[in-house]
Amino acid sequence: MTKLESIDYTLEYPYTRSTGPVWGPFLTGLRDGKILGARIGNKIYCPPLEFDPETAAAAEPDLVEVGPGGTVSGWTWVTKPTTKHPFDHPFAFALIVLDGADTAMAHAIDAKTEAAMRTGMRVSAQFRDERVGAVTDVYFVPEADAVDQEIAAGDEPVAITIHSIGVDISEPLSPHRVRFAEGLRNGKIIGQKSPTSGLVYVPGRGYDNMERVRMDESCDVEVADVGTVVAYTTISPIQYHGQTETEPYIRCSILLDGADQPLGGIDIRDMTPEEFRTGMRLKCVWRPPEERDYSDLDNRGGGLTEGVYERWEPTGEPDVDFESIKEHTW
Amino acid sequence: MRDVAIVAAGQRQQAAFTDETEVQILLPIFEQVRNDTGLEQSDIGFTCSGSSDFLAGSAFSFVGTLEGVGAYPPICESHVEMDGAWALYEAWVKLQIGEIDTALVYSYGKSSPGSLRDVLSTQLDPYYLAPLWPDAFALGALQARMMLEQDIVSRDRLTEIAVRSRDHASSSPHAVRKGDATTDFVEASPVIADPLRADDCAAGADGGCVIILAAGDIAKNVCDRPAWIRGIEHRTDAHSLAGRDLLSAQSAALAANAAGVGDDKIDIAELHGPFTHQEHLLETALGITDETIVNPSGGALAGHTMMAAGLMRIAEAATRVSAGAGDRAVAHATSGPWLQQNLVCVMEGD
Repeated sequence: MTKLESIDYTLEYPYTRSTGPVWGPFLTGLRDGKILGARIGNKIYCPPLEFDPETAAAAEPDLVEVGPGGTVSGWTWVTKPTTKHPFDHPFAFALIVLDGADTAMAHAIDAKTEAAMRTGMRVSAQFRDERVGAVTDVYFVPEADAVDQEIAAGDEPVAITIHSIGVDISEPLSPHRVRFAEGLRNGKIIGQKSPTSGLVYVPGRGYDNMERVRMDESCDVEVADVGTVVAYTTISPIQYHGQTETEPYIRCSILLDGADQPLGGIDIRDMTPEEFRTGMRLKCVWRPPEERDYSDLDNRGGGLTEGVYERWEPTGEPDVDFESIKEHTW
Repeated sequence: MRDVAIVAAGQRQQAAFTDETEVQILLPIFEQVRNDTGLEQSDIGFTCSGSSDFLAGSAFSFVGTLEGVGAYPPICESHVEMDGAWALYEAWVKLQIGEIDTALVYSYGKSSPGSLRDVLSTQLDPYYLAPLWPDAFALGALQARMMLEQDIVSRDRLTEIAVRSRDHASSSPHAVRKGDATTDFVEASPVIADPLRADDCAAGADGGCVIILAAGDIAKNVCDRPAWIRGIEHRTDAHSLAGRDLLSAQSAALAANAAGVGDDKIDIAELHGPFTHQEHLLETALGITDETIVNPSGGALAGHTMMAAGLMRIAEAATRVSAGAGDRAVAHATSGPWLQQNLVCVMEGD
């Protein structure tokens, strides 16, 4: 039995980006223990830009080394770092104008205490032991705290940078979803009957999306765990980031008896596309109550979480005529 | 320019809508603006929304929210991954072109399930800034310290702005932070990111906002006193920090100038300043004087629904013009770090 109260997950967007002719050498420089700026006109931009933000003039092709010392032009103190921050203890985010550069770089200073921070202070770059060709390869310390480092240059230029965005979400399950989940726990599929049209939606959304009226607990109705396949496709998994499927499977929509809207996103793994068809009658075979897992149920999904059923098996009834279900096929 | 007006506006906002989905938040507001105007979805020429998948935690989440509008039979629709103020701009352009006579604009945000300070980091430059995860409070605080140290603003002025927000918010049904409008109370508020105190930072909120736009005679027929849009412009500052002056709101000034803010007296200004020091920068950029009541709703400081706070500023200003509380109002919306993008909308009553 898993909790019904809330859903906790991480929304992830893993980005890989090409670095190009200016950012690539800059990130390669960081990996190799150097900070590089770009010359555009009379100014040295660090971090380097491909073009002047005001005139759009292109940067000169060869970057120039700046720093490792610099001057703080603005700062704030982070008292409670998050797990994503560059340090696990309090530190400063600051704007730093590196020696030889004309523009400020936003970065982190490991200053130990807020009292050590002031605008105009001198800082120096330090490099991480493990460097990957990212802006996080470097950090700054008050100049007096800097130590000499021997940095060995890497091999290939940095052509790709990986930026994995992960945002943690913790959301209470909506009341109508809690009631839907409680139904599943008891081997029942709960829908909602529109007070306006009388149509039954499964699962209920807490509102009627056609009549645009809210639906509360009084609209809840139980529908059968038997229904008719109204649409399906075969999915051959592509191995993208986060993909857990490896084998082809069928995804179908089933119009449950007593419902006016098909239940979508039902996965069938024990039948082949050759034997599967629109119009066939299927029945839900539930997992034993103690084995039912609702943990991937969220507030937005429209289907039935796979953790609650073993499979959907043919009832043996004759197929349903296409004409009577064509409104639900797509 | 074609005469286009805001003829209805509604909103809901509270610290967290724990038990309601985005659609459920919006449904009563859609109903309200329809009742106010007598316009049904079938009377609407174009529907445009603003929201963020990063808040909803789900890709293409806005498609689901369209159900609240009534998207069947099929409607003409668009979406911006921006504050709803920019959705309103898109609709206004379509009205100016003459393709349509009415538009429904809405936006919403429910940031309470996630960590907004992390979400906002994801909008930053992905090569140089975002991997460090500087959060919105840290970036705001960095700017505030620079302004204080260089005498662009005083500490007393920040307190004054925070007190003003609490004071005005007391009579605002949508504000989530109100009351205790005293200097002592604000000065005692805890430091969030030095030098910013809690009261210098906008109060987080969930909510939604809906506006109906109409042109010419339709506007006059469905609304007693339409808020006519006399100028609406948006501008952006440079993407790179190297191209930014953090001590002013340059693109806000450009947008205000282009929208004609300074052409006549402004009675009411609703400014979207996520921090007190940014509200100060905006007043300067828009040339606001003592003749103007600033943020009679309490402003974004009193309740900041991500993706809707800008559209809410327009709604607040328009509602006041329609109610006769002022003849000429300006509303402002912002997006991005350090007031990067700015939209300014000037409205007048007849």
